[in-house]
Amino acid sequence: MSNDRHIVIEGVEMVYESGPQRLHALDGIDLTIGRGEFVSIIGPSGCGKSTLLRIIGGLQHPTSGRVLIDGRPPRDLQRDKQLGFVFQDPSLLPWRSVVENVRLPLQVNKGQGARGKGQEDVDILVDAVGLGEFQRYYPHQLSGGMQQRVALARSLVTSPSVLLMDEPFGALDEITRTAMRYELMRVWRSAAGDRDCTVIFVTHSIAEAVLLSDRVVVMTPQPGRVSSIVNIELARPRTEDIEADPAFVAYTQHLRSLLREHVLV
Amino acid sequence: MSARDLTPQPPVSEAEHGLRSARATARVARTEAPVPHPSRRHIGPWLRETAALILPAVIALALAFGAWEAWIEIKDVKPYLVPAPSAVVQRLWEDPWFFTQEGLRTLEAAMLGFLAGTGVALALATLMSQARVLERSIFPLAILVKVTPIVAIAPLLTIWFGFGLMPKVFIAGLIVFFPIMVNALIGFRSVNPNALALFESLSASRFEVFWRLRLPSSLPYLFAAFRFSIPLSVIGAVVAEWFSGDRGLGSVIYIANNNLDMETAFAGVFMLAILGVALFLVTTAVERRVLFWHESNWDVR
Repeated sequence: MSNDRHIVIEGVEMVYESGPQRLHALDGIDLTIGRGEFVSIIGPSGCGKSTLLRIIGGLQHPTSGRVLIDGRPPRDLQRDKQLGFVFQDPSLLPWRSVVENVRLPLQVNKGQGARGKGQEDVDILVDAVGLGEFQRYYPHQLSGGMQQRVALARSLVTSPSVLLMDEPFGALDEITRTAMRYELMRVWRSAAGDRDCTVIFVTHSIAEAVLLSDRVVVMTPQPGRVSSIVNIELARPRTEDIEADPAFVAYTQHLRSLLREHVLV
Repeated sequence: MSARDLTPQPPVSEAEHGLRSARATARVARTEAPVPHPSRRHIGPWLRETAALILPAVIALALAFGAWEAWIEIKDVKPYLVPAPSAVVQRLWEDPWFFTQEGLRTLEAAMLGFLAGTGVALALATLMSQARVLERSIFPLAILVKVTPIVAIAPLLTIWFGFGLMPKVFIAGLIVFFPIMVNALIGFRSVNPNALALFESLSASRFEVFWRLRLPSSLPYLFAAFRFSIPLSVIGAVVAEWFSGDRGLGSVIYIANNNLDMETAFAGVFMLAILGVALFLVTTAVERRVLFWHESNWDVR
């Protein structure tokens, strides 16, 4: 982690208005994220964490406030294909094979923003996520976990500087989900390329947030606010053993207590 | 599948760590069994499956014809009311070239009409998918066209376009236009929202979103429309031939009807049925090839 201010979120507010109803989705979000940092956003459903992710990625405009990445608005980074997205569903194009799906980001916008990237980069990533033997397969021939690997490879093919993940493992079974977490850490460090890639990871799994992150941002609903930020000081690379580590357990318990305060049962 | 696909690729990164991880994950991946590709079956079993598929239909058809034949025999139905199927087949057999030629005329009109109708439908659906205001202006017009009874305007078309191919193509096109346009529009809109977000996050142009996402997403809807609008186009051509026909199966049936020549009329109908089945089979075969990725074409066993 560096002290470089990679992503700066300033006073972001999001209000949805439909007739007399006003939904305050996000209220005064301030957050600074360093280059190469892995930040998880955790919180109960409806706390606006997905909305915040979409705003950081330039898919939505905030009612007020702004997001700057390297001092530029997210739209600029879209043009340079510097934003990688992974959603809860793999959202692969079913008529494209594994390699063709991974290649997609290189093709759109007339191939701009991905200069010097080619089939070699596609092959490397498909291998890196363990699908080298399944290059010519179509999504319907793959399991859910394999499909999400394709989505991960696709998000990294342009060597983005920011990777935005919206509950990417939420729809997977527990066993696959656990494997995918380690998979993500490996690929993020190795295959993501020579440059530091900042990850913002939305989840509602406490263990997932602690395992993956340098920092965990806890959000609370109505309106969506950042209630606390927890630094996770666990050494990397993190392996399966870490989940039994007392420090790991302490972090999860701490986060659980932070979240419990805000959930009305 | 080429040998390249089966052999492991060269190391992923120089980093020892990355290499090891790639192998480890490849191992993990192998335990997740892929589903075998449904379209990659051998031709032998395929033939057997096809036989199993059409045999029940053939038997049912034979039974129906047998019952029809028996009814004519037992009740002594007059040939100018209903001919025996054997007589109809005989009529076809006597003059196969005549019926084939007339059938091809009808087919030509139906297919040209289908192509023209599809072209216009796709163009309008594309426009409408781009802006709601266009939808609100074009759609009512399309409904107006849809609710106009074709039979009512068919005689008019003869006055406008005269006899020959043009009125037939026009009516066939008119009849397929609406279902294809509606399905295309639904298809263009039925896009995975996250896939759309992905395209947006990559600064994809409107054209790219349309070409690479909306159009392929609409194919299942389009083929569903093709399945019933292709037979509809034949009906359209036949209706036109009733009114303005100098050639084609429609006019054959019309003239035979007026002459109480039921064998010829029914032979024309049989020819139309054969045409319809052939078109349906072709459509299904094309659909299976194009939409191999869509769940509607997977073999559920």
